[in-house]
Amino acid sequence: MSPGRRRRRQAGTAYLFLAPGLLLFAVFRVYPLLEGLQLSFTNARLGRATAQFVGLANYTRLAEDDRFHVSLVNTAFYTLASTLPILAVPLALALALNRGRLRNLLRSVFFFPFTLSVVTVGLAWLWLLDPVVGPFNYYLRALGVPTRSWLADPATAMWAIILTTVWWVTGYYLVIYLAGLQDIPRDLYEAAALDGAGGWRAFWSITLPLLRPVLLFVVVTHVIGSFQLFGQVFVLTGGGPGDATRTVVQHLFEAAFQNFFQFGAASAMAWVLFAVILVFSIAQFRLLRGHTEY
Amino acid sequence: MRRLDRHGLALTVALGVLAIVWLLPIVWVVVTSFKVTADIVKLPPEWVPWPATLDHYHEVLLGSSRTARIGRAFVNSIVVAVGTVVVVVVTSAMTAYPLARMRFPGRTLVFTLVVGSLMIPNAVVLVPQYVLVQRLGWLSTYQGLIVPEAAMTFAFGVFLLRQFFLTMPGELEDAARIDGANAWQVFTRVVLPLSQPVLAALAIFAFRSAWNDFLWPLIAVNKPEMFPLPVALALLRSAYSSESYGPIMAGAALSAVPLLVVFVVANRRIVEGVRLSGLKG
Repeated sequence: MSPGRRRRRQAGTAYLFLAPGLLLFAVFRVYPLLEGLQLSFTNARLGRATAQFVGLANYTRLAEDDRFHVSLVNTAFYTLASTLPILAVPLALALALNRGRLRNLLRSVFFFPFTLSVVTVGLAWLWLLDPVVGPFNYYLRALGVPTRSWLADPATAMWAIILTTVWWVTGYYLVIYLAGLQDIPRDLYEAAALDGAGGWRAFWSITLPLLRPVLLFVVVTHVIGSFQLFGQVFVLTGGGPGDATRTVVQHLFEAAFQNFFQFGAASAMAWVLFAVILVFSIAQFRLLRGHTEY
Repeated sequence: MRRLDRHGLALTVALGVLAIVWLLPIVWVVVTSFKVTADIVKLPPEWVPWPATLDHYHEVLLGSSRTARIGRAFVNSIVVAVGTVVVVVVTSAMTAYPLARMRFPGRTLVFTLVVGSLMIPNAVVLVPQYVLVQRLGWLSTYQGLIVPEAAMTFAFGVFLLRQFFLTMPGELEDAARIDGANAWQVFTRVVLPLSQPVLAALAIFAFRSAWNDFLWPLIAVNKPEMFPLPVALALLRSAYSSESYGPIMAGAALSAVPLLVVFVVANRRIVEGVRLSGLKG
């Protein structure tokens, strides 16, 4: 067989292997992505036979949609406010667990909530945080701490959602941090100890810099996820009180599937959200990657 | 040295206490689900469900006519999660193998597109995906849940398996080829059996995301008998008044069981899968 023919045959075989996956990918990922962009320039609705091209009308209307702005601000607030705890809590746990005994057992305990669905997590915390008969407020009162209806108070509702989410996902990031810590060579710490640098010094000058790729992964994953916040809010507050915890995906969900099925408008929201997520992700890549050369 | 030990012991104790606190919400759900209704709202909170009852489980599994039965939703979730695992594992393995092991025009392009799609938020394709599934006549069907769920996990699967295939030594494949095996036989009889750990990690990952997904089935299913667990549970909540936490907590506890079993049986694999998922960063 000539090399050319063999190469062509291998290409044929390769594409036979690829066919099912690429079909799935093209039809259910690529096509919807482009279709969504196209929809965002039309007045498409459920049941409307022909959608008309309306140019940027959906986008300009979003610019005037106050509830959309509130949703965007809430979502950004949630993302920013939850990033530090999501970075720090699992990292602190990972550092404490890394050398200690019972490492695997404790890792499993902290990981367990992550196996639950967002609805299960939401229902559990709804019950825990019940203002009257929930144990959370009961024990706070017993300790003499002033309590309130955390989920019904606009000042605390989003924080309660953050607390719930931290509890839910800490185990996932803990496992990732632990793996990252294992990859840091031990002799670096030994060398640092010889130079008299232990504890905090070693943490700042060895652990943190070498963990930077892991931190980047955690932050980017978290930001992409939190801009899509929906399930916790749906179960815990329904977006309330008022619009205090209303999020972009909730707004999109209601526009597309509850109020008049405005697919065009909802698609425009989706693309605005996509753009915001991209900007944040790129900014983080720049920020956290910028210093890796040393 | 001794001071260091005491330090380590104190840390372990502190972590142990924190771990117990961490589990309390789950314990509370389970305890509530076994309490008789009158005891549920008693203060101070009672952490031992005595007298215990199975009434709430009976009600959500068999008795409730007010809402989708949790029993049926449980079956739906199993079908969807298992179906998703099969589709994800088969399509990602078949896609990742040539990307790791064969030379063909367009290889870089295919890989870049698939991995690049990991950056696409699922919420962005929600509406067009609904339009597509509706056009296919797949609303409120198993395939209408399975195929989109699989498409969401596909790119991650390709990434994960390609990494693994790249690190596999090629000698065994060469030996099989010399013995006259064709590409498909090499793939199914040599490569896949050697990849069992990573395939298991991917299967668990896909099972978890399909079992727990909420937003897509909330949209794509409008017949109560086709609801998967998260949707049925969310609606169970609104079907009862807020004081009757018993049935809701029974449903929540039941929904946690399959992944708890997987978790206990395959703890190592899950940790490994998460660890590998972190490598994509």
